[in-house]
Amino acid sequence: MMTPHVIARVMLIAFGVFLVSVPWLIPALLNPFWVSVVAEIMIWSLFAASVNLLFGYVGLLSFGQALYFGFGMYGVAIGVATLGLSFWPAFGLGIVAAVVIALVSGILAVRLTWHYFAIITVVFSLIFYFFAVSVKPLTGGDDGINFALPPTFSIGGYTGSFGDASFQYFFILATVALCFFLMHRVIQSPLGKAFVAIRDNDVRAALIGLNVYQIRLIAFVMAGFLAGVSGALFAFFGRYASASYMFYHVSGEAVVWAIVGGAGTLFGPIVGTTLFIVIRELVSTHWEHHALIVGAMAILVVILAPKGLVGLWNEWLLRRGARTAGAAVKTKLQTEP
Amino acid sequence: MDILPILALNGLIWGLIIALIALGLSIIFGLLDIINLAHGDFFMVGTVLAWFTLALTGNFWAAFLIVPLIGFLLGALIQRTVIQPIRNVAALTIVATFGLSLILQEVVRMTFGTTPRRILPPIPGTFPMFGINYDIYRLFAAAVAIIALAGFFAFLHRTKLGTWMRAVRHDRETAIAMGVPAQRVYVLTFGVGFALAALGGVVAAPITTVEFRTGVDILPFCFMAVIIGGLGNLPGTAAAAVLLAFLEGIIQSFADPTVARISSLVLMSAVLLVRPQGLFKGLTK
Repeated sequence: MMTPHVIARVMLIAFGVFLVSVPWLIPALLNPFWVSVVAEIMIWSLFAASVNLLFGYVGLLSFGQALYFGFGMYGVAIGVATLGLSFWPAFGLGIVAAVVIALVSGILAVRLTWHYFAIITVVFSLIFYFFAVSVKPLTGGDDGINFALPPTFSIGGYTGSFGDASFQYFFILATVALCFFLMHRVIQSPLGKAFVAIRDNDVRAALIGLNVYQIRLIAFVMAGFLAGVSGALFAFFGRYASASYMFYHVSGEAVVWAIVGGAGTLFGPIVGTTLFIVIRELVSTHWEHHALIVGAMAILVVILAPKGLVGLWNEWLLRRGARTAGAAVKTKLQTEP
Repeated sequence: MDILPILALNGLIWGLIIALIALGLSIIFGLLDIINLAHGDFFMVGTVLAWFTLALTGNFWAAFLIVPLIGFLLGALIQRTVIQPIRNVAALTIVATFGLSLILQEVVRMTFGTTPRRILPPIPGTFPMFGINYDIYRLFAAAVAIIALAGFFAFLHRTKLGTWMRAVRHDRETAIAMGVPAQRVYVLTFGVGFALAALGGVVAAPITTVEFRTGVDILPFCFMAVIIGGLGNLPGTAAAAVLLAFLEGIIQSFADPTVARISSLVLMSAVLLVRPQGLFKGLTK
């Protein structure tokens, strides 16, 4: 009997097998270019997941996650290009920079909620966007910084480097999967339950003794961490950092990806990001105005499937589960007499 | 060279135009509880429609009449088709208006192209002021903006429709119980909001460049005016727009435009954190 639980488990395993086999499967079926598209999708999914952690689980809609993405990205780029760091210290610098700025801005931002929170997160990201645009010697402004890749590590005679497409793919896959696993564990933990309690009713959450401010701040810093990791990965992936990735449109896209995919679900951001990036890659080569499709899709999905695509899928599974359960009861009743 | 008075005056005039756009944003926000991310693009559509009106009829003045009307109809249409089905879920409306913003920009790219264009001031000539020759059109633009602002407030306080809009915002249930057709008021509000932004676009078209990207730059500024003025506080919003643009103009006279923009953003964060109800709470009303 295919219960919803079994279906979900089978799909998860199939998804994992697919991701691991991408570097061989995709070049055989399509062409090698799509391997890097899948890698890019994973990076942006992690970015959308940071929006989802805040909005889907804690109920805070951030429109400024590009700020922490940008700090992760610039931490790596400045670390490698200006400070001459090797791979791991630069990676660490990017993540630490993102977490520190998330902590500092979070201390102020999570005092506000809802509209005010959405707006102050945009404002913070805009401040640093304009800053990054104007401090050209450090950030390269809109032109950005290009840098040469340092090798990731060497064991014995083997040197791993992002120059090797398969290595790059598996490094990104491992990092993103680890982040999603950590996020899953946090959401399952008592802290995760506290997140959801605050999302559903912050007054009640405060009355049962939760420190709402502190828990929101923790979630904010965690989301900053996820965005920072994705920004750092993106810098290594593109060998490039630019202020344009800190603009509020980048944050806005992540919000769209997360909500279209399904906010408050682990896989929603992956589904939404995949959908939009695949459309972009498929259509943009044939038709220059692919943004029309993106805009129309965003509107159609929120009207037709307000809980997002994963929400729609979950409802279908639930209904199916109820039906099979009902059928089981029925057969039992028939056999009884 | 003393450019301070000129930049301050430029800021003041620009602030009056922003006030028009921000008022549209504020009524949509106050009545429908929607963070309208497409509002900057409503302004952009206004500038582009002004350009088309001039290109097709050869008469810029016609744009002052035609463009707000088209804006109103577009706004009403958008409310009926896109906003109405998801009106009660604020997060979804943010996504929908983001999608709308992409569509408007892309349609303008398809029809108007990507090249930025300029419209010559319909009133040529300059006026000697503060030691330089100042464009007469800018003074005219300021006058139009002031008249439109006054007209809008008169509409809001002196007409039945305006009273309905205020009533629904104040207490939706009671207003409906009193027979106010709330559904139509929503459509009307969105239409008026679009029309105000489009009118701002027409007024600004000869001052700024006409291209599909202008909305993206102007949107944060409009939000600043709405926040600093106080959400839902319409006179406060107008005052904040003028004040902000004026201050940015003054700061620009001795520093980089980016520095001016950063300082107003910092000011806005401070207002949000210290006085989230806006600077002017208690001064107006």
